[in-house]
Amino acid sequence: MNNQRPPTKPASLLGPLRTALLVLILAAAYAYGFRVTKVNLYDLVTGLPNMHHIVLSLLQPDLFVRATEMQKSDTPFLVRAESGALPPPPATPPAKPGPSVEIYPSVAKPGDVIEVKGRDFKPDTPGVIYLIWVGETRLGKITTDAQGSFAAKVVLPGDVTQGDYWIEARVFRELNWYVPSETLILSLRLMLETIFLALIGTTFSVIFSIPLSFLGARNLMMGAPFGRATYYLSRTFFNLLRSIEVLIIVVIMAVVVGIGPFAGVLALAVHGIGALGKLYSEAIESIDPGPIEAITATGASRLQVIAYAVVPQIVPQFIAFTLYRWDINVRMATVIGLVGGGGIGFILIQYINLLEWNQAGTAIWLIAIVVMAMDYASAVIREKIV
Amino acid sequence: MLKIEHLTKIYEDGTKALDDVSLTVADGEFLVIVGLSGAGKSTLLRCINRLVEPTSGKIYLDDVDITAASPKELREIRLKIGMIFQQFNLVKRSSVLTNTLSGRLGYVSPWKSLVYRFPAQDVARAHANLERVGIAEKARARADTLSGGQQQRVGIARALMQEPKLMLADEPVASLDPATSHSVLKYLEQINKEDGITVICNLHFLSLARRYASRVIALKDGRLVFDGRPQEIDHRRFKEIYGEEAVQVEIGPELTPEEATQAP
Ligand SMILES: Nc1ncnc2c1ncn2[C@@H]1O[C@H](COP(=O)(O)OP(=O)(O)OP(=O)(O)O)[C@@H](O)[C@H]1O
Ligand SMILES: [Mg+2]
Repeated sequence: MNNQRPPTKPASLLGPLRTALLVLILAAAYAYGFRVTKVNLYDLVTGLPNMHHIVLSLLQPDLFVRATEMQKSDTPFLVRAESGALPPPPATPPAKPGPSVEIYPSVAKPGDVIEVKGRDFKPDTPGVIYLIWVGETRLGKITTDAQGSFAAKVVLPGDVTQGDYWIEARVFRELNWYVPSETLILSLRLMLETIFLALIGTTFSVIFSIPLSFLGARNLMMGAPFGRATYYLSRTFFNLLRSIEVLIIVVIMAVVVGIGPFAGVLALAVHGIGALGKLYSEAIESIDPGPIEAITATGASRLQVIAYAVVPQIVPQFIAFTLYRWDINVRMATVIGLVGGGGIGFILIQYINLLEWNQAGTAIWLIAIVVMAMDYASAVIREKIV
Repeated sequence: MLKIEHLTKIYEDGTKALDDVSLTVADGEFLVIVGLSGAGKSTLLRCINRLVEPTSGKIYLDDVDITAASPKELREIRLKIGMIFQQFNLVKRSSVLTNTLSGRLGYVSPWKSLVYRFPAQDVARAHANLERVGIAEKARARADTLSGGQQQRVGIARALMQEPKLMLADEPVASLDPATSHSVLKYLEQINKEDGITVICNLHFLSLARRYASRVIALKDGRLVFDGRPQEIDHRRFKEIYGEEAVQVEIGPELTPEEATQAP
């Protein structure tokens, strides 16, 4: 009965010719692509050694430092133009208990050598002498003797301007334990900010995308008045938001609300509404239509149908998608700081610009750990609920 | 009384699923609709509660024109028409009790129901209906943990929550084995006899139709080709309904050996 076959195409030269043409086009495309992207193996190979230092530094992140005890003491100091016509030295403050510093002479001109003497510091301890103005300039290193005194000759910088200064001596004694470095503390604080930035951003996008996702679900909207228009409008809206990268939105939002974490939150929220809205809508579209039909047939209203036939079917998927989004957002939040959106990226980019690779390493390791942990946690939770 | 006049349904793609069907169903009848796959049985049932919009024709339930009802009126009419389905159409992740209660949605305050609250007497009614179909102990179970036969009984309990006058059943046992099919159909028979609920039921097996129907109609290509008592379907009529190539097949249920008939 059924011996009809689809007619086979006559063999022709077109096949191989088409293949050849395809190969040619591909070759041209890649040739052009390599040129515009400046792919250059030579640069890669010769440049690789430059990475050596960076990688080594990244592998030694700035995490903990020896705990130190600091002692300091200061005294006023004047810089004047003429060393010849020196005004009377400022009155030395009354001697306090504890370490003290004296300077000879206490009025000097730029480039002069001055002598700094200290007493009653901790014995046998290294330290540093600073010239204090609005900022501070390091003048030299010292070490106290067995009695806790030191005397050092230091040179005033030649470009120091006339004015009233302080000279301060600080000695540091290393203690026998370690404390988190400033970098680590700062990084941890900003990492926390990053996680919450992702959380708040995700929450905002969930709040807005859940109601919108129902409008973007074909199976719910096609029956309703203006359903088709609403459906296409919602879907277009989602696609539009989704197609603008978070980093770009951060920059725009930073103009609106200023640089900082709030700009990042808004950017994650805006992009997330598009991404989650689409995922949610598709989850709604993939549900079993049977219960919808059954509940509709009982005389329930449209809202009741959604509450009883749609919602129970989508809850697990919605939770899974939300966790997935939060996971992505934590990752995004680590980089939005690069463009002024708050979070750990904000200091990471500073460390990198200052070539402080050990410090950058601290931030990078922290990011890696947190992102991996989030990844794992959200996978575990998703497995449990679906 | 259900009255269908010149009902025609043409789907958007041009398929004529129903062609000028007229029919009156008296209260308390157990009407079985038979016919080949694609004959229009489901379409006919779904037109009655307007899950499918009729193209032309009229349907009256107790002299109320269903086809002319506004959305609000339609919901009130649907309250009186229960429906059960081949695939049971329960919400799988919800409990049996919630599934049963959802049959009551048309009666309860919309806002309370949106937060899954039902009046105590409705909850009691749900338990009573589950008891009636023999699965009271499953009330807390998730619907998808039940067997097919049990799920269909939840479907019946859900429809009973509406206190319907009319029960539509679209191949309620097509996914069930013969023994379970009988148990489910017996519950339909029970509500038909005890509560006086009119039942309109699509069935594949003529043997089941013969056993349960008080009246059988047959559809072929959307047209009514038989209307009578089940015993009247003889060999010649069978060929008319199912076509020349159809053979009567026999399934041997263990208790009452019945002749089952299956369309090819
Ligand atoms: N939504 C639809 N759109 C287009 N055509 C449809 C639609 N639903 C059903 N049809 C067509 O209408 C005709 C009748 O279908 P219907 O489902 O009513 O038949 P049925 O008798 O219930 O068959 P079955 O025994 O397979 O359930 C068939 O030709 C079917 O393909
Ligand atoms: Mg059908």
